[in-house]
Amino acid sequence: MDNQPPLRIVLAKVGLDGHDRGVKVVTRALRDAGFHVIYPGLWQSPESVVRTVADEDADWLGISLLSGTHMTLVPRIMQMLQAAGLRHVGVLVGGIIPEADVPKLLAVGVARIFGPGTPLGEIIEFLRAQGSRTHA
Amino acid sequence: MLDELLARFQARDRLALARLLTLVARGEQLEAIRAALSPKNETTPVVAITGNAGVGKSTLVGKLAEVLRAEGKSVAILACDPQSPLTGGALLGDRARMPTHPEDPGLYIRSLAAPSGHQAVAQHVDLMIRMVAQFGFDVIVVETVGAGQGDIAVRELADVVVLLVQPESGDDLQWEKAGLLEIADVVVIHKADLPGAERLESQVRELLSLPGCREIAVLRVSSAKQTGLTELWSTIASCPRRSTLIEPDGQVLLRHAQQVLAERFQDRAGSVGHVVDRWKRHELDVTQAADELLHVLAR
Ligand SMILES: Nc1nc2c(ncn2[C@@H]2O[C@H](COP(=O)(O)OP(=O)(O)OP(=O)(O)O)[C@@H](O)[C@H]2O)c(=O)[nH]1
Ligand SMILES: [Mg+2]
Repeated sequence: MDNQPPLRIVLAKVGLDGHDRGVKVVTRALRDAGFHVIYPGLWQSPESVVRTVADEDADWLGISLLSGTHMTLVPRIMQMLQAAGLRHVGVLVGGIIPEADVPKLLAVGVARIFGPGTPLGEIIEFLRAQGSRTHA
Repeated sequence: MLDELLARFQARDRLALARLLTLVARGEQLEAIRAALSPKNETTPVVAITGNAGVGKSTLVGKLAEVLRAEGKSVAILACDPQSPLTGGALLGDRARMPTHPEDPGLYIRSLAAPSGHQAVAQHVDLMIRMVAQFGFDVIVVETVGAGQGDIAVRELADVVVLLVQPESGDDLQWEKAGLLEIADVVVIHKADLPGAERLESQVRELLSLPGCREIAVLRVSSAKQTGLTELWSTIASCPRRSTLIEPDGQVLLRHAQQVLAERFQDRAGSVGHVVDRWKRHELDVTQAADELLHVLAR
């Protein structure tokens, strides 16, 4: 991706969960891999995440949830992205997602789910391979 | 495709604004976008917030935006963070310190990566300012990177430059060494809730009383305690506009000419490089190379 403009990815921590260590580690790794990482802060509501993605013209949205609210929050965000005209934005989900829920999240349009132990290199490789969704 | 985007922009489609800003940030389609905008709207105030890393620029910009929203003024924030010179990557975290009002169309926050080096702002911010102004925002706030370098470009693009300083341990006035005072119109003693704010204020006033200094407002603000914020806005609002102040200056014109040239001949960078290579290999002497260059540019 040498001559490619850097991908812009919003990494958001959604819900009331106060730990953002995981997000911070991923943020660092992506920055060091040449991505532009937009970090909107803790305790994001689905509404503010969607607004951030829209105003920042992000290529990707990474949502991190630890609170077990994924089956309500993720489909809601997907729906709101669509309604906001942001169908082209790729969505990643990070966190502890039960095996049984994975196909359900993929079915609502999530591009990929990364569990807690995922090597950072795998996330980077995935994003590089996918490239830009907005400026293909 | 650009035409469609520009039409949507004129119709105040926020997604079109966001996409056009991306193009400009990448240095794409600059000339066409510039041409599509109406002449610079001199009435929209542009405020630059500068100061060292961690001095509280983002926090204060967020608070200032809330003061402005309460007055019914819409605000666009262009927040710059540094880009790594090694990887080109960037962590754009300024908006994490700013308010989120997802339902409020009167607040727009855009994170921008500034190239490393002496630049305090992202490239082509001047054009981005014109775009958000034309989109209809009432006030534009630019947060510079916290690199602590007095970048005169900031003075050129903003009507009012606000320098933030904070009480520090010791007498180490880093920002003074970096020449930041020279570009400021307003100095904010930020984090005034911390001990040492008064002492810092008198230090700053003393510096400013030295012969040759311009008249600069100094005020104490705490974003944490929400004090001094409305005073700050009225001070900023009462500053004379740079555009009405600027003496016609050859340097400014030259810089703009340089920029226009760079944009106009971007597509010919390859051919120019080719001529330079041939000259380096002594296939052309310097006169021939100059002729070739003129030829490429005149095309
Ligand atoms: N005590 C005190 N701390 C503050 C105040 N405003 C901001 N801070 C703290 O200062 C730190 C830095 O704030 P930021 O707003 O991120 O500073 P910045 O200048 O934008 O930093 P960079 O963008 O990295 O250059 C944070 O920990 C804030 O909580 C204040 O008024 N008082
Ligand atoms: Mg900041």
